[in-house]
Amino acid sequence: MNKRSYLSTILIIVFLFSLTSIQWNKELFHSGGGETLLQIIKSLFQPDLSISTLLLALKSAWITLAYAVTGISLALLIAFILGILASGVLFNSGFGRWLSFGVFRGTLSFMRAIHELVWAWLFVAAIGLSPFAAIFALAIAYGGALGRVFADILNDVPQEPLNALKSSGASKLHILLYAYLPMTASNMLSYTMYRFECAIRSSAIMSFVGLGGLGYQIQLSLSELRYHEVWTFMFFLIVLVSAVDLWSNMLRKRLIL
Amino acid sequence: MTVNKMFVLKNISKTYGEMRALSSLSLIVEKGEMIALIGPSGAGKTTLLNILANTILPDSGEVIVDGITLHAYKSTKQFADKVGMIRQQFDLVGHLKVIHNVLAGRLKDWGFFKALLSLIIPQDSKIAESALEKVGLKDKLYERTSSLSGGEQQRVAMARLLVQNPQAVLADEPVASLDPVRAKDILYMLTKLASEEQQTLIASLHSVEYARKYFKRIIALQAGRVYFDLPVEKVTEELLSSLYSLEEEKQHE
Repeated sequence: MNKRSYLSTILIIVFLFSLTSIQWNKELFHSGGGETLLQIIKSLFQPDLSISTLLLALKSAWITLAYAVTGISLALLIAFILGILASGVLFNSGFGRWLSFGVFRGTLSFMRAIHELVWAWLFVAAIGLSPFAAIFALAIAYGGALGRVFADILNDVPQEPLNALKSSGASKLHILLYAYLPMTASNMLSYTMYRFECAIRSSAIMSFVGLGGLGYQIQLSLSELRYHEVWTFMFFLIVLVSAVDLWSNMLRKRLIL
Repeated sequence: MTVNKMFVLKNISKTYGEMRALSSLSLIVEKGEMIALIGPSGAGKTTLLNILANTILPDSGEVIVDGITLHAYKSTKQFADKVGMIRQQFDLVGHLKVIHNVLAGRLKDWGFFKALLSLIIPQDSKIAESALEKVGLKDKLYERTSSLSGGEQQRVAMARLLVQNPQAVLADEPVASLDPVRAKDILYMLTKLASEEQQTLIASLHSVEYARKYFKRIIALQAGRVYFDLPVEKVTEELLSSLYSLEEEKQHE
């Protein structure tokens, strides 16, 4: 037996042993837990389709989408600028490159190290329950994540075309325009679209802190045990995310061809 | 007043770690010369071209381009007016349209905003059109560069060089990845354009046959030294076979 099988055996034994610490009795579910689960599953097939709920869902979906679009647009702007600076492609070697790695990569890490929900709490505390709280929270956290990936994508391009441009007398900014950006645009766009999808889900969750939107409605309906309504809102969220997925696929196809 | 030599190399040496790429190499290239650089792989052809193109620095020795030593050049633009380089097809940006790759030869004369605007409304497009016409690709102006064949992409690179319009053109294995028919086509065009524009041309080649057919002077490198440097009519079969057999002996050691 090699080392890996030893490790696997040990891990399996540890796992089996850990099962003994669970109390296999009725307290695993709270009383009526099974009943509730059944109810939730049942209402999956009978979502509330009354006009008033549908209108409310539509309105909430619109708010969620608006937060996500505004947030991701701002994030894209921040990420584009900081990502280019953090990649170091505009700097020669030495101090400038060191500065760009230290300062801009550091800034990006700071922005994304804190979850957007925490940013949202901070902004709600500072500026109150305003849409800006949600938008800024998304823009900062997602700007950090996007910017980091943009910088990595920019650092990964093949060197030959860059050297050719450099030796034909192009400046760093020229090379950015004529090589880095065209070579990376489709990659950046496709990652941005993926992040946009995440932003919609996140924007729904963020409304739990009281900012309106689909998440807020789901929370209200849940607390009033109206599972039929919960599913209506859930379906709207699913449709929203799928629509973005479809759109991003279409965009990607057009760009890569 | 005497005309400056295009390139003067004095005792150039370059080592990569243990490997000696060029050892104490000296060379003079007059303006307007057509030179083929031959020799077994690893003889230092690419290193020599890169030193002439100012993309790598020699460990010792002096390089003088058109009367000015290399480190006295103030900007990449000033040097790009003197020397241009063409490599295998991989030096184009495949995602851009052909016209933008060709106009990239103008970037040395453009500011940032003109370059940016040109990506939307091509600037100086007449220059790009006439350059593409010279290489026979006028109808491909607005096609995506990556959709072109290898030979066509190499011609786009030549058109970019025409737009850059340097005094000397360096070509590093310009036909290495092409089939014989296209290779001849490209070499014919490269030498014809260089003589039309009164440029100096130095090309490294694997094929001795092409070197003899399209060039006037042949410089053979062997283990980082000049093995022979002769007008094409004085290059004999004996010289050539000893140039390449030395390598075989070395490999058997």
